Amino acid sequence: MNDERREGSAVATDSTREYLTFTLGDEEYGIDILKVQEIRGYDAVTKIANSPDFIKGVINMRGVIVPIIDMRLKFHLGQVDYNEFTVVIILNISGRIVGLVVDGVSDVIALHGNQVQPAPEFGSVLDTAYIDGLATLDERMIIMVDIEKLMTSQEMGLVDQTHLVTA
Amino acid sequence: MTIDMSQFYQVFFEEAGENLAAMESLLLELDVDAPDLETLNAIFRAAHSIKGGAGTFGFSDMAGMTHVLESLLDRLRKQELVPTVEMVDAFLQAGDVLKSQLQAHQEGEEYEDPRVAEVSEHLERLAHSDEVGPESAPPVASDAPAAVVSWRIMFAPTAIGQGTPAERQALHEALSELGTIEELAGADADHCVWQLATAAGPGAIEEILAFVCEPSQVRLEPADSQSAPETDEEAYGFFVEVSGTGDAPPAAEQSSDQDDPGYGFFADAPGAENRSEDQDSLQAEDADQDQEPVQVQESTGYGFFLNAPGAETALDQEHEGFGLFGGSPGMERVGAVVKQERLDDEFGYGLFNPAPGFPEPRADDEAEPSARSTTAAPPANSTSERASRTGAAASKRPATADSSIRVSVEKVDQLINLVGELVITHAMLAESASGLDPVIYEHITGGLSNLERNSRDLQQAVMSIRMMPISFVFNRFPRVVRDTAASLGKKVTLKLVGEDTELDKGLIERMADPLNHLVRNSIDHGIEGPEARLAAGKPETGEIVLRASHRGGSVVVEVSDDGAGLNREKLLAKAAKQGIPMPDNASDKDVWQLIFHAGFSTAERVTDISGRGVGMDVVRRNIEDMNGRVEVDSSAGRGTHITIRLPLTLAILDGLSVRMGSEIFILPLTVIQESIQPCAEQFKTVVGKGRVAQINNEYLPLVSLHDAFSSGQPAPDPLDGILVIVETNEGRAAVLVDELVAQHQVVIKSLETNYRKVEGVSGATIMGDGRVALILDVDALVRLNRRTG
Repeated sequence: MNDERREGSAVATDSTREYLTFTLGDEEYGIDILKVQEIRGYDAVTKIANSPDFIKGVINMRGVIVPIIDMRLKFHLGQVDYNEFTVVIILNISGRIVGLVVDGVSDVIALHGNQVQPAPEFGSVLDTAYIDGLATLDERMIIMVDIEKLMTSQEMGLVDQTHLVTA
Repeated sequence: MTIDMSQFYQVFFEEAGENLAAMESLLLELDVDAPDLETLNAIFRAAHSIKGGAGTFGFSDMAGMTHVLESLLDRLRKQELVPTVEMVDAFLQAGDVLKSQLQAHQEGEEYEDPRVAEVSEHLERLAHSDEVGPESAPPVASDAPAAVVSWRIMFAPTAIGQGTPAERQALHEALSELGTIEELAGADADHCVWQLATAAGPGAIEEILAFVCEPSQVRLEPADSQSAPETDEEAYGFFVEVSGTGDAPPAAEQSSDQDDPGYGFFADAPGAENRSEDQDSLQAEDADQDQEPVQVQESTGYGFFLNAPGAETALDQEHEGFGLFGGSPGMERVGAVVKQERLDDEFGYGLFNPAPGFPEPRADDEAEPSARSTTAAPPANSTSERASRTGAAASKRPATADSSIRVSVEKVDQLINLVGELVITHAMLAESASGLDPVIYEHITGGLSNLERNSRDLQQAVMSIRMMPISFVFNRFPRVVRDTAASLGKKVTLKLVGEDTELDKGLIERMADPLNHLVRNSIDHGIEGPEARLAAGKPETGEIVLRASHRGGSVVVEVSDDGAGLNREKLLAKAAKQGIPMPDNASDKDVWQLIFHAGFSTAERVTDISGRGVGMDVVRRNIEDMNGRVEVDSSAGRGTHITIRLPLTLAILDGLSVRMGSEIFILPLTVIQESIQPCAEQFKTVVGKGRVAQINNEYLPLVSLHDAFSSGQPAPDPLDGILVIVETNEGRAAVLVDELVAQHQVVIKSLETNYRKVEGVSGATIMGDGRVALILDVDALVRLNRRTG
């Protein structure tokens, strides 16, 4: 198994892409690693008034004010507690920097395009617009998230929509 | 040259802008009755630099304009003409046209305006106003490399079968083989005037014209760019035939009459070869125009000069050479005037133009005879030789003398950010080290305090990069005052005080509009007409003073005039008419504040300068956007005094940190009026909901941070909190906070970079412990409170 994975990451040809996987509760998610700037621990955030509860607030990351989103609150998954093991993934999405709070970061995997199958429709139960597809790795299901689409969506309220038009 | 010039456009735009500004301020400085030759020269050089740059980059409209401008200036600085107010006005107009042209090019457009032709015609008329002046036999070529024989070609394109633009273009190209050609007027098909600067005689031009038409249908006349036509003809004849030596003495004498005989020689020496040299100087001019902005060919250019005689010695004689050169009008003060290196450079080139094409001996031979016939013969030789040294010396200056660099503001801001980080990092380190025993860890605490000092110094030094003297804004006002006063028929002088006061570049740019409004208002409404002033026992000429100074942590800019002052009764009547509520016995201060109301104007009539009632409203808003404040003070008959108080920089804010629950917020110090410990009787409600606080017999809307920012925590007893009275644009309000923490200078960061605008918050900052604190926007907070409360 390990061999396979190593081989996969070594031969990162044009059809394979690397993903960072993280866990939220019992589910495993994957995001494009090129969007990830760094991974850091969770420290004190400054709350922002009148914002949705999943926006924890802003932190100072080397002089840059970065909003922090708790994906567990957003997706209603996992136990929401903050301790020294809480991980924040700092993303750089077309120049904007955002931090995601997740339960844990598991791995970097390389996936072939054909290893990802489209997610089934859930109808009104679940909006699959931000889900690229599902992949299987070591018999685990990984949910591929189009993180850029998600983060710039109106639903997240991270970006002034007027900004988006100009950006 | 296949170099893509467009990459250097920005450099040209910036430089041309600077040169135009310098030219304008020099023009305004110029005393028409006693013209200062050095000022004239400085103006000329500014114009010439613009022309050179514009030509290189192919902005022919600008080059054409400056060319005409230069022609007149050239005659002025040679003292062939006496400057008049009319000329100064024409120059200023030309400057305006150039500015518009420059702006158009910056936006990638062509500037089309009938004004261009009008102004240039006006200038030309002025330049030739003394056609028959007896002493108008000037040296033909001066130190400017643009000394060429110009021919004016006038024809009617339709008459000669050159009606279509394509045909004209072909003719244009054919003629441009002889030299540089420019179209003075040629937009319409009826009448075309081209100016051809060439070394070829009229025969050559006629020959080309003969290909397309009867020579008789084309009028050809000399129109030298540097001097009047006849003079040019004379000089031309003289130098070509070498028989007209009789003409030389007047020229030489005239030049020796001037402050410095050397000048005459310089003018004579190259001028002697004027005819045959034109071709060379044209080429040389082209070449150095290429070099100038590009700068890559510097070394080649220099090597070129090395071959010239005297170049070896030039290295150590740089100063002497320069000094000698300085004798020629204006050169000593070059340093004090504009863009000296560039200009020296040009002078150097200009002088040197003959050198490559003409071996020194020959130049000497020719210079000597003509010099001998004058009274100042002996120094002729050495002068021309030293001149060459000067040329070499001057041409090598740019390599060493460039003492400033252009850096984009983003880079500076990045530096400021990084230094801010350093300060914060230090604060964190210091906090961690504070638990250590100072005796055992003495070196750590020592190092930390060193680090602190160094990083604070560094922060200040970096901040100072953004600082610019306020003269950048002030300098435009002599012109504004002059024009506005003239159009209103008033006499006004402007006094600038404290132009060296430095403040943030961002603020400087945003100061321009408000100040403009204030100054124009002062002239229009404040300063009375000359008769009214005399009647009031005041001097005929009014005075406006612009004063800038540092006061505490802020910059104070004052605009005062000695005019009529504000009229209290008139203001109150107007307020009543517009339904603005005023207390019965309003204080003067409240009355003066009325002028900042939108749509409030006491002017009897609306002029193009002011009176629409938008100005002062905008002024106040602009200044408040910069976290500043405006105050008005006035006394009837004595004048008005407007004080603008601004923070030193946009990047830093003086703030009071307040606590709400576990969060820290920053309140800008400029909005805080007072803070008080409330007592229970002060809290009142209106209809059970709207909460107000009673402060000194006034009911102010109460904004509780807990409620406004729905902190989720139970609101503490308001009696344990502190009421901060703030000034908002809707009047005063009371903000209830848990605790006042400390006063800070904070670095403002935008929340919108990575997030979005948050209501009630104008930005964020990073506190000493590395945490983020939000900066409150009290205006928005009051609005927010109205909705939620």
